Amino acid sequence: MMKRSLIGLAAAATTLALAACGSGSSNTATDSGSTGSSTGASSLSLVSPGTLTVCSDVPYAPFEDFDKTSPTGFKGFDIDIVSKLATDLGLKLKVLDEDFDGLQSGLTLNAGTCDLVASALTITPDRAKHLSFTDGYYNSEQSLLVPDGSSITSIEDLSGKKVGVQKGTTGKDYATSHAKGASIVDFPSDAEEFSALKAGQVDALLQDLPVNLAHQQAGGYKVVQTYDTGEKYGLAAKLGNTGLVDAINADLTKMHSDGSYDAIYNKYFKTN
Amino acid sequence: MKRSTKRRLRQGGLYAVLAAVVVLLAVTIDWQKVHDNFWASGLGGNWHDLIVTGVKNTAVYTAVAFALGLALALLLALMKLSDVVVYRWIATAYIELFRGLPALVTILFMAFAVPIAFQWRPPGGTAGAGVVGLVLVAGAYMAETLRAGLQAVPKGQAEAARSLGMGPARTLIHIVIPQAFRIIIPPLTNEFVLLIKDTSLLSIVGATVGQRELTNVTRDFMSSGPTAGTGTSLAQAALLYLIITLPLTRLVAWLEKRQQRAR
Repeated sequence: MMKRSLIGLAAAATTLALAACGSGSSNTATDSGSTGSSTGASSLSLVSPGTLTVCSDVPYAPFEDFDKTSPTGFKGFDIDIVSKLATDLGLKLKVLDEDFDGLQSGLTLNAGTCDLVASALTITPDRAKHLSFTDGYYNSEQSLLVPDGSSITSIEDLSGKKVGVQKGTTGKDYATSHAKGASIVDFPSDAEEFSALKAGQVDALLQDLPVNLAHQQAGGYKVVQTYDTGEKYGLAAKLGNTGLVDAINADLTKMHSDGSYDAIYNKYFKTN
Repeated sequence: MKRSTKRRLRQGGLYAVLAAVVVLLAVTIDWQKVHDNFWASGLGGNWHDLIVTGVKNTAVYTAVAFALGLALALLLALMKLSDVVVYRWIATAYIELFRGLPALVTILFMAFAVPIAFQWRPPGGTAGAGVVGLVLVAGAYMAETLRAGLQAVPKGQAEAARSLGMGPARTLIHIVIPQAFRIIIPPLTNEFVLLIKDTSLLSIVGATVGQRELTNVTRDFMSSGPTAGTGTSLAQAALLYLIITLPLTRLVAWLEKRQQRAR
C-alpha cells in the first residue's frame, strides 16, 4: 500500500535522500553486527525485551495472511522477512494484526503496541514525518484489476466508472491524479474493496500489483494495466528508534548479499 | 461517635480519595503530549471538510434513515398488533432478527452480500446500501417503541371512537396514533441520537470523497493533512458529535420530566 506521493518528483527526491541516509547508517551498523548480532539485541529499544513485536494489517496476500499452522499465526512475504530479521537479531517474533490507518500514521507505534510495522508500507515523505523507515525491501507497482469480460482495458476507460481504492494508499493518490472523470470510492482494506468489486459496487480496483495478482490467480478477474510509481516498501519503527532501524538495515544488507532475501522473494514473486 | 460526625468523616474521606486521584493524574500525565496528540497545530484546516462534508452527510444519512426507518417501524408495529396471526409472526421474526444482529453486520450484508444474492443495488453505491442497512436496523428498534406507545393509549379511547361510528382505520389514524406519538417522542428522540452515532459505521463500507460522513472524513485526516499521525481529527470529530447529540439528549431528559409532570 503506497502512501500519498503528492508530487512524484518530491517523493522520488526524498526517497533517494532516505535511501542515502539508510545506506550510510547501515555501514556503521554492519560493523557492530560483525561483533555479534545477538549481543546487539540486548541494546535495542523494544516494547517487550527479547521479542520483536511486529504489527501488520492482515490479510494483504501475498505480503501477510493468516496461517494457523505457523508459529506466529501468520504467513507471507513480510512475515518471512521479519522472521528472518528476528532470528538474525537473536529475538523472538510476535505478530499483531492492526488497522492499516493506525500503522501508517504512526499512532500504533506511538501507543507502544509494537516495535515495527511490516505491512506492505510504501516509503513516502509524508509518512517519514511520523515514522522511522528502514531501507526499502520491495519495489512496488500499482495495477488496475477488472472482472473478466469488462470493457475497461486502461485507466482512460475509467471515465464515468467507479474505481475502488484503499484509504490512505498510493493507489488512491494515483487514481485521484490519473483516473480522469472516474468516481473514486475508498475502502478501509482489500477485504471490503474486493467484496465491492464482486458485488458490482465498483467497476475496477486500483491498488498494489501483488494483491491484484492474487485476485487474478483466484480467477474471474484480470490485471489490465500496471503503473511503475518508483516506490518501495519499507519497514517502519517509531520515529527516533534509530537503534532498531540501523540493526535492521544492516541485516537487510546481509540478507541481500548472502542470498537469503532472494530465496524469500522467489517464494512469492518468482516470474517464469 | 455521633452519627453526624461519622457521616462527615466518611464524606471527608471520599473527598480525599478524589483529590488524591486528581493530583496523581495531574502529575503523571504528560500534558504537552496530550495536547500535541489531541490538539496539534494546523487543526484549523480540518474544520472545513469535517463540517461541510462530514457533518452534512452525517445529518443527511441520519435524516433519511430515521424517516424511512420510522415508516417501516409503523408498519411493523401495526403488523405486530394485527388480528392476523401470520402478520404478527412476520413482524416478530423481523424485529428479533434485526435487533439481534450487530448494525455493522447488517450494513456489510447490504453493501456486499445482498447485491450479489438478489442482483439488486440500492442507489448511492456502497454508502447508499449502508444507509439501507441502517433503515432496516432502526425500523426494528423503533417498531418496538411504537408498539409500546400504541398499546399505552387507553383502550377506552378506541372504544369511544368506535361507538361514535368511526371505522377501525379512522380510529387508528385520528385517535390512537396521535396520542401514541406524544408518549413515544422521548424514546424516539433517543433512537434518533443512537442513529446519529450509528452513521459512523458507514465509514467501513466505502465512499466517494463527497459521500464521506464525519467519521470517514476524520479517518482521512488521521493519515493526511497537517494533523496526520495524531488523534487531533478524532478530538475534533468528538467535539462535533457532542455539539449535535448533547442538546438532543438534554431535550429527551426535559421531555421525560415534562411528561412525568403531565401524568
